Amino acid sequence: MISILEFLVRFAVWLLLAPLLPGLINKVKAWVAGRRGPPVLQLYYDLTRLWRKGVVVSTLASPGFIAGPAVAWVAVLAAALLLPLGPLGTSLSFRGDVILLVYLLALARFCTAWAALETGSAFEGMGAAREVSYAVLAEAAVITAVLTLSLQSGSLSLAAMLVPSAGAGAVLLAVGLFTVLLAENCRVPFDDPNTHLELTMIHEVMVLDHSGPPLAAVLHGAAMKLLLFSVLLVQAVLPVGELPPAAAVGALVAGVLLVTVAVGLVESLLARAAFRRVPLLLTTAFLLCVFALLVAWKGGAA
Amino acid sequence: MTIGGMLAAAAGAVLLSLVASPRTPRCWLAASLAGTLAALAAAAWVLATGGAWEWRSVFLIGGENMHLRLDGVSALFLALVAVAGGAGAAYSREYWTDQAHPASARASRAWWSALQLCMGLVLVCANGLHFLIAWELFALCAYFLITLDGRRREVRAAGWLYLTASHAGTLALFAFFSLLAARTGSWDLGPMRERAELAPLFWLALFGFGVKAGFFPLHIWLPSAHANAPSHVSAIMSGVAIKMGIYGIVRFSGWLPTPPAAGWVVTTVGVASAVLGVAFALGQHDLKRLLAYHSVENIGIILMGVGFAMVATAHGQAAWGALALAGGLLHVWNHGLFKSLLFLGAGSVLHATGTREMSRLGGLWRAMPWTASLFALGAVAISGLPPLNGFVSEWLVYLGMFDAVTRPGAAVVAAMPAIVLLAMTGALALACFVKVCGVVFLGAPRSPETKHAHECGPWMRGPMLTLAAGCVAIGLAPFLFWPAVHAAVAAWRGTWSEVPAPESLTTLGLFHVVLAVLAVAGAAWLWRRAHRGGWARAGTWDCGYAAPTARMQYTAGSFAGIITEWFAWILQPERHEHRPEETFPRRAAFEEHTPETVLERVIQPCARAVMRVSAIARRLQHGRTHAYILYLILGLAAVAAMTLAWSQ
Repeated sequence: MISILEFLVRFAVWLLLAPLLPGLINKVKAWVAGRRGPPVLQLYYDLTRLWRKGVVVSTLASPGFIAGPAVAWVAVLAAALLLPLGPLGTSLSFRGDVILLVYLLALARFCTAWAALETGSAFEGMGAAREVSYAVLAEAAVITAVLTLSLQSGSLSLAAMLVPSAGAGAVLLAVGLFTVLLAENCRVPFDDPNTHLELTMIHEVMVLDHSGPPLAAVLHGAAMKLLLFSVLLVQAVLPVGELPPAAAVGALVAGVLLVTVAVGLVESLLARAAFRRVPLLLTTAFLLCVFALLVAWKGGAA
Repeated sequence: MTIGGMLAAAAGAVLLSLVASPRTPRCWLAASLAGTLAALAAAAWVLATGGAWEWRSVFLIGGENMHLRLDGVSALFLALVAVAGGAGAAYSREYWTDQAHPASARASRAWWSALQLCMGLVLVCANGLHFLIAWELFALCAYFLITLDGRRREVRAAGWLYLTASHAGTLALFAFFSLLAARTGSWDLGPMRERAELAPLFWLALFGFGVKAGFFPLHIWLPSAHANAPSHVSAIMSGVAIKMGIYGIVRFSGWLPTPPAAGWVVTTVGVASAVLGVAFALGQHDLKRLLAYHSVENIGIILMGVGFAMVATAHGQAAWGALALAGGLLHVWNHGLFKSLLFLGAGSVLHATGTREMSRLGGLWRAMPWTASLFALGAVAISGLPPLNGFVSEWLVYLGMFDAVTRPGAAVVAAMPAIVLLAMTGALALACFVKVCGVVFLGAPRSPETKHAHECGPWMRGPMLTLAAGCVAIGLAPFLFWPAVHAAVAAWRGTWSEVPAPESLTTLGLFHVVLAVLAVAGAAWLWRRAHRGGWARAGTWDCGYAAPTARMQYTAGSFAGIITEWFAWILQPERHEHRPEETFPRRAAFEEHTPETVLERVIQPCARAVMRVSAIARRLQHGRTHAYILYLILGLAAVAAMTLAWSQ
């Protein structure tokens, strides 16, 4: 009974709290720019409205155009449920679940890019091409971070490897993972979530033709992914699992809020990088993770 | 019925199909499928019981007793031969009919049966001499299948390249088996790991079998042969025939001692093949050529598993070695299933549109919904995404490599870069298959050919469905297939038979089931929801573009452009462009072609150099008798001088 209740709580956290993050980021951006900005709960209103709306589908699109966002949303949710939430723990933990998490995010990427190509539009093709290309570097950085944590904890399940902090290389890992977070969640300097109309977009351009409930699924999935990466980053860096439950929850929430504010500040203070710089930035993130790995490997021996 | 009986029944049925092949296609198909089932039953029996079957004849062939042996390793490959062979045979009934190909349909059936028989023989022969004979026959059968459509020049060229490369490999195998026989005193094969002096022979085997397996840089024959063969042949070549090379490497690294460096070399070769194979695939515009390069990638993943198992043997680390090997061997099955499926899907596209050029395809899902969905399933599987089979085997390889990292040992240095590169390979494969699916099946039709496309019939669809079902089954219930893989691992290294199944395999399977159910339910729910609020069709919005045409769509080349740019150092793409220049530009064109770099930049220049040197030597041969007499006299004089010098 308790386990079902716990599962429901975790489920609710992922589903209900996720749309809060984009609202907070927008609030931070508005605050820096001296505006009032949209309400923090704006995304909730948007999602409810979109869910009730009808859809306009391209004449070229197959049923995969609707199935793509649905499967991508399920994949992100499944990945999120594998991730432990501090003292709330995880719904399911087994050896090698971390690899499954990385590949579930890849499945979501496959489905999103597939749906983008359904429309036969050059814009969306461009976005999908960029998404899948830059993901190669992002995935290398993520797996290096996973390798670091696994080496640090001597374990291959998320629940165990996220308990201790990342040790001496924590700062390197934090900066590396934060950069990947920005890239994977279409934030500045990789992408600009405010516009949909420019040739320089990555993720946002892939969803140009979505409308109504499928767009709601896309937006909610994106919010969950942002929360997932924030939670992963916080738990990878802080020894959340070693704190007493109340402090752990506090640390987790504070960490996620800090990440959110940081994303908002980066977005306010930085300009989007030129496209040829994007691979360089991601390579930097990858190298930071590699250095964290070297610290974990050789630092542990010394 | 014993295993021997089942194998005999399989061989008999295939021989019967060989007899029936010229006149009665139906009997041929029935006999082929019966043989397939019998072989599958024998393989399943061996894999389920974990035993080995051996048989020695009293009669002699070529002065040697027949020695047949079916153990876990060979049964694993035999099962793949049976499944993919049966699927391809049924597919060819509609794909390569007597009406459409009167000149070659009979030959197709006959060589197909012969190929099945020879591959089966290669797998069960445990005598070096007979193995070589079977190997050579198998290579020849494959040659005749590749060149079925021999009227086309590129098919003949591809066949010739295959035959040459294959024989270069066979030459190494001749040396390997004769040296082995010379040192052991017998052609008989079997476990002989205690004889350390045999270890250097492994290099010969690695080269000889590696040419057939097609790992980088020995893959030169593979892209053109797989692209130009009829699609059912491409499927068996890519799904099964190149696995014979893997079989050789696995077999003889299990039976013979290996040099200490062998594991590292195999791992390195595997990693290089995985990354570069997918990089080359991204640069291709020809659907089947692209799939062929993905075989190089997947052979690389298999070799990573096998290589780490060899490293683990050298370091006495049974636990993670067994995991890596199990992953590699399961990937043999998985790649056989989804690559056959993809090639059959590509054949269906080729059958319907008459072109393999991706820039001429597009929007095929409407005319070919079955092919499109099955190809998409294969694409998800080959990209190693959950919940399908490709992920399960890659996951096992990952587990093995992660364990190598967390346990102290020298393997850490190799495992860390291998893990990162395997992850990158996965992401690159995903990029490549998003490109293929998007360009071929989605969007608007790019050429008139695609407008008349039609769905394939039941004989082509059935085999694809069967292979897809295999992909789904291994993905959703991996624990059911673990005993089979474990039997092969135990046959490879007897001491590893105690390594238990990874306890999380069952959990992973259940997770996959839940994920699949949720994905289907989620899609259905969103579909209903989207229809409830009002459903309208309109032209692609595309930020308000007024008159889009099919030619404005993103092409395969532009989609892969970012990544091929990163790999330009090895892909060496050839570009021809006319930029639009004046105010009212007349003509603008851009063309890009990715050559087979190893073949065109390394092998062919070397071959040309050899030809030039030979041309000089050929001047000596001109047909003038008096000059020949002069050579004779000079030669005699030289011999005389040498003899005199020697005697003093």
